[in-house]
Amino acid sequence: MIIRQIIILLIISALLGLLVNTISPNGIELLGKYRDISSGNEPIIPPNAEEGDPSFIALDLAELEFNLGEVLFIDCREFEEFECGTIPGSINIPFDYLPYENLEQYLDSAMGFVSKDYRIITFCSGDECDQSLHLARNLQAFGYKNVSIFFGGSREWENYGLEFERRQDCGE
Amino acid sequence: MRRIIDNDYLTMFFRLVVGVTFISASFYKIIEPGDFAKSIWFYHIVPGSIINLMAIVLPWLELVCGVCLIFGIYYRSSVIWINIMMVVFIIALTSALIRGLDIDCGCFKAAKSSNGSTLQPFLLDIGLIILTIQLWLSQSRKWMLGKS
Repeated sequence: MIIRQIIILLIISALLGLLVNTISPNGIELLGKYRDISSGNEPIIPPNAEEGDPSFIALDLAELEFNLGEVLFIDCREFEEFECGTIPGSINIPFDYLPYENLEQYLDSAMGFVSKDYRIITFCSGDECDQSLHLARNLQAFGYKNVSIFFGGSREWENYGLEFERRQDCGE
Repeated sequence: MRRIIDNDYLTMFFRLVVGVTFISASFYKIIEPGDFAKSIWFYHIVPGSIINLMAIVLPWLELVCGVCLIFGIYYRSSVIWINIMMVVFIIALTSALIRGLDIDCGCFKAAKSSNGSTLQPFLLDIGLIILTIQLWLSQSRKWMLGKS
C-alpha cells in the first residue's frame, strides 16, 4: 500500500516536471552534457559556458604558460583565500567585491594598466566556482583580447603538486 | 513523551513548517531548472547524464510532497519521500563540506554563482529531519484529507 503511494507520488512529480519542462521557455534537455572532472590535459568547461566566452584552458596549458612567463594570472577568489595559497605571481581581484561603477577603470588599474593584448588567465578555487568565468567575460567586454579561463583553479593546480605560493599559514 | 509526540497541534505545526519549507524550496528550481542543474553539477556526485532529469523531477517531488504533507494526503508516503530527500541533501552537503567545496547549496535558490556557504543549509537540514522524525512517529491524524 505505502510502496504504491510512494511510486504514485514519484510518477505524479515526474509527469508534472516533464510536462512543465516541455512547455516552459526555461525548459532544459532531458540529458545534459557535463564533464565530471579534469584529466589535467583537457580543459574543464562549466555548464554555464556560452558561445563567445573566453577560451577555457587545461592545467597543462596553464602550467606551460606559467613557465613561459609573459602572462598575468588573476586569482578571483576572496583575499583570505588568495593569501592562503595561490599560483605564484598571481594578482588578486576578488570578483565578488568588484565595484559597480567605473569597473573598467578599476580593472585597468588593478592589473597595472597592462596592454589590452597582454595574455591574461583567470582562475578561482576550482570547477565549483565561476568567478573566473565572470571576470573573464568582463575583461573581454572591456577590450582585453587575450583572456583565458583556467577553470581547474587553484585546487587542481595544487593537487597536481605544482608550485604554490602561500602568503600565510592557514593550517592546511 | 508519547503524548507530546502525538499532540495534534504540534504535529500540524511541524507539517506546516516542513511542508512550507519544501514548497518554497521548489519554486525557483521549477522556474529555472537550468540553474538548478548547475547547482547539482557543482557537487560532482551525480553522473552528468542524469543531472538534468534530476533537476526537472526533484523540485516537483518537493512541491508535491510538501502539499501532500500539509493537507494530509498520502501522508506517510510523503513523509518517507521528504526523509529520503533530506538524507540525500545531507549526504551531498556533507560530501561538499568534507571536500572543502565552496558552493551555493542550491537548496532554495539554484546557483547563479557557485559561491556560498554549505554549513548553514546543512544545519537547517538536520533541524528539518528532526521534525520529520516526529511526523513519522506521531499517531495524530487530525486535519488530514487522506487516511494514511
